[in-house]
Amino acid sequence: MAQQHGIIVLFDVENALRTRSLDGNTYWFDNMKFLGSAGVGTEQLVTIVPGTHFSDGSQATEQVLNWLPAVLGAIPPTVPRNYLAEQERADDRRTLRELASLDGEGGVSDADIKRLQRRVGKRARKSGGGRGLTESKLLDVTGRTTSDSGAYNYPAPVITDITGPAVAEKIMYPAQYGSPDMIYDGWYWAATVDTSRPGVYPYTMHVQLHELVERNDELVWESVDLTCGSSLKITNDPKRNGFTGAGLGVLPLPPVPAAG
Amino acid sequence: MPPRNRQSERRPTRPVTITAVVDPVAALASENLDDNLYLYDTNKTVGSTGFGTPELHSRVRKGDTLLWNVLPLECETYVALIDIEIDPRIAEPTRKVYPGTDIVFWTAEVKQDITEPVPYRLSFLLGTVSTPFTPTARPALAGPADEERGGR
Repeated sequence: MAQQHGIIVLFDVENALRTRSLDGNTYWFDNMKFLGSAGVGTEQLVTIVPGTHFSDGSQATEQVLNWLPAVLGAIPPTVPRNYLAEQERADDRRTLRELASLDGEGGVSDADIKRLQRRVGKRARKSGGGRGLTESKLLDVTGRTTSDSGAYNYPAPVITDITGPAVAEKIMYPAQYGSPDMIYDGWYWAATVDTSRPGVYPYTMHVQLHELVERNDELVWESVDLTCGSSLKITNDPKRNGFTGAGLGVLPLPPVPAAG
Repeated sequence: MPPRNRQSERRPTRPVTITAVVDPVAALASENLDDNLYLYDTNKTVGSTGFGTPELHSRVRKGDTLLWNVLPLECETYVALIDIEIDPRIAEPTRKVYPGTDIVFWTAEVKQDITEPVPYRLSFLLGTVSTPFTPTARPALAGPADEERGGR
């Protein structure tokens, strides 16, 4: 099987929430520029899917695609998995330790209490329709607890479906998979591609963004469903020997190692 | 049409984030970071230009907090921003890590309003190569004034 494609979509969530549209607010990447992907880093990515066939015409390579959403202006996805949850716990532990160590005898200063209150931060509730979000404390974009609802780190967008001609024409078969880490949002979308029908096939990605709103004196993650699109360009060449460049056959090795 | 956010008019207190998207495998294979570096910021509505190129011009104002971070296209290959060279009269970036990790970001405050674009230099470490990669193309901080003078 060929190398898997990673398709990364960078979302300008702040602008998307303001305009209620993903037009002009997504940047697409894949790791196949060297094979001919076009528009890498823009909204018009065409992902190359180099297929191959055997001499009898049957499909010789499967191609697997994976989609990974990321947020512009947020904590990057390179922090350890579950970072937000871990960070919240570490912060709570630190706050409790400091609370316990406040000396009651000499009186507790207001400043200490205020500082710890700030550290407790704010929690946001999940609204009924929210998908893939765990309730947690608000962190700002540098990973610190914040109680300012205008400074929070945007959660990663959640892909909710992949549709369009590439799916309807059975060029690719996308599905959502669970990673072994089921507790915290461990989901991803992947697809296998039928490379036997060359052509350019657009698809639509359905995405849920989350925005924090204040309702009845509490903070709630409100989900906002939007769509954006990209294309696959399928090519299909005869399978050939990567060493010789010729047709399939035995590798050009001597049957017996050379003597001496 | 989803409902509009009632809070959207209030200006958020987030920093202006400049994100460097790096394709480390392609950059290492070609020894060329310029073609494999894509810069973006969160100030497009204010007029930043050069999105998706290594010559991003970020529109900023005196007092803005800036934050630089990195998004590698290949999560199994190491990429880190190790230096930012910029006129210290404009900004003095400081290296920080996300708490509890060794993932680096840099922050700085814009010290004065900018009239002419101020180019700066980013340096990255990629994979296990010990020599930093510094793109030839240079991003810049630009002021609110119009900077339509041909160049990107």
